[in-house]
Amino acid sequence: MDDKVEFQELFLAQLDSVHHYALLLARNTSEADDLLQETLLRAFRGFHSFKRELSFKVWVFKIMKNTHIDRARRLRVRPVEEEWQGDDEQRKDPSREVALYPVPLNPEEILLRRVTIEQVTEAITNLPPVLREVVELREMEGLSYQQIAEILGKPIGTIMSRLYRGRTLVRSVLEGPASAGFKSRSAYGL
Amino acid sequence: MVCSDARSRVFQYLDQEPPEEQWSALESHLTTCRDCRRLVDGERRFRELYMAPLRPDPAPQHVRDQIARLLDALPDRPAAVARSPWTLRRRLVAGLALFALGTLLGAGLGGFFGGERPWHRGNAPLMRLADASVEQHQKLARGILPPDIQHVAPKAAEQWFKARLNFNVSLPELRGEDLTLLGGRVSHLRDLEVAALHYQVDGKDVSLFIMPLDKYASLGLSDSPKFKLVTRQGYDVIVWASHGAAYSLVSEIGGRSCLVCHSREEKLDLPTDSRAHDKL
Repeated sequence: MDDKVEFQELFLAQLDSVHHYALLLARNTSEADDLLQETLLRAFRGFHSFKRELSFKVWVFKIMKNTHIDRARRLRVRPVEEEWQGDDEQRKDPSREVALYPVPLNPEEILLRRVTIEQVTEAITNLPPVLREVVELREMEGLSYQQIAEILGKPIGTIMSRLYRGRTLVRSVLEGPASAGFKSRSAYGL
Repeated sequence: MVCSDARSRVFQYLDQEPPEEQWSALESHLTTCRDCRRLVDGERRFRELYMAPLRPDPAPQHVRDQIARLLDALPDRPAAVARSPWTLRRRLVAGLALFALGTLLGAGLGGFFGGERPWHRGNAPLMRLADASVEQHQKLARGILPPDIQHVAPKAAEQWFKARLNFNVSLPELRGEDLTLLGGRVSHLRDLEVAALHYQVDGKDVSLFIMPLDKYASLGLSDSPKFKLVTRQGYDVIVWASHGAAYSLVSEIGGRSCLVCHSREEKLDLPTDSRAHDKL
């Protein structure tokens, strides 16, 4: 199979995921479309260096992340990463999270409340962007901690910390009073 | 292992990613601690009910179509689009040469397009619009944004846009042999939906973006001068509003880009000030 055909097949097979990630990174749909197209061209340009034993999805996500950062620099806007004022470095050990964020982890409470899938989706969507990114890469794309760390270029401890915090925030919102009014980002104290 | 440690590892445990050395201690704790076991079971049930169904939405059809077109248009081998060291070197040399030329011209002539004018100094909305226009122009010219319609007459393009945009797009007839309407598409200047037209004038790429007047007005640009002329990233950008719409024209050929709308016979003594262009 020649490179072009192989690339076409691999890219189309991952299109939904790649498009979803573009929407996650970009600020609007037109920017997401542009990011998707530029990523495709960059990926094809570098396809000769793609190691076939690795995950094509992870490889393309990594290219998209770098493309997004380059575009943000070009357009002189802050990439999502820079909007995060969290102190990841202090939270590489997730066990410290318990003391730092004593949010009750009580899935039974959420189950009893019979929240809807839409409410869960909304709670994830309302997360601060860097937490949302990690939560979605794990929950929706099923990527491992190591794969997420590769894509984001962060230590695995940072990924674990963000994932823990993102998940805990989602659950705390769903456990909130009747889950009626979903908290805005400011309500998270962020 | 104590309960607080075990609880901090519940997510990792269910992700099957706890550190190897803690796995057995965690399992052992969960077999003896009823409360922690209950927590794990509840979390597992929560995931089955709420997380497992979460999947990315399918990409919309227009995105699938765009990607399919782009994939079809790829060369047969990735190397064909790879940037060779020679290409990079050539770009660097060309860039430096252009920079030097621009500096010389700018310093010597005060450059009509290159110079800062009092009315656009610090005019952030204009600069943002110009930057967005330049970015879209580059993509159109390089084929990164493929046209939705190609080589059609202006009237046919008007009809095409009419079916897709909620404002009227009125295009000038082509009046010169060296003027070609290469294609058009619906595009965006930041969040502004626009009609994007890709022309060639004397073999040079020219982009014309047309936007509704009310959206343009919301950008907060001043009315005067009518024709706002700026240079951004080496491109000449002319922005103006007229007859219920607003326009942004991008090129590397300064006032000659106005041939998109005006014939060569018309006097294009562009423009030492905005009033000169008002006559066109």
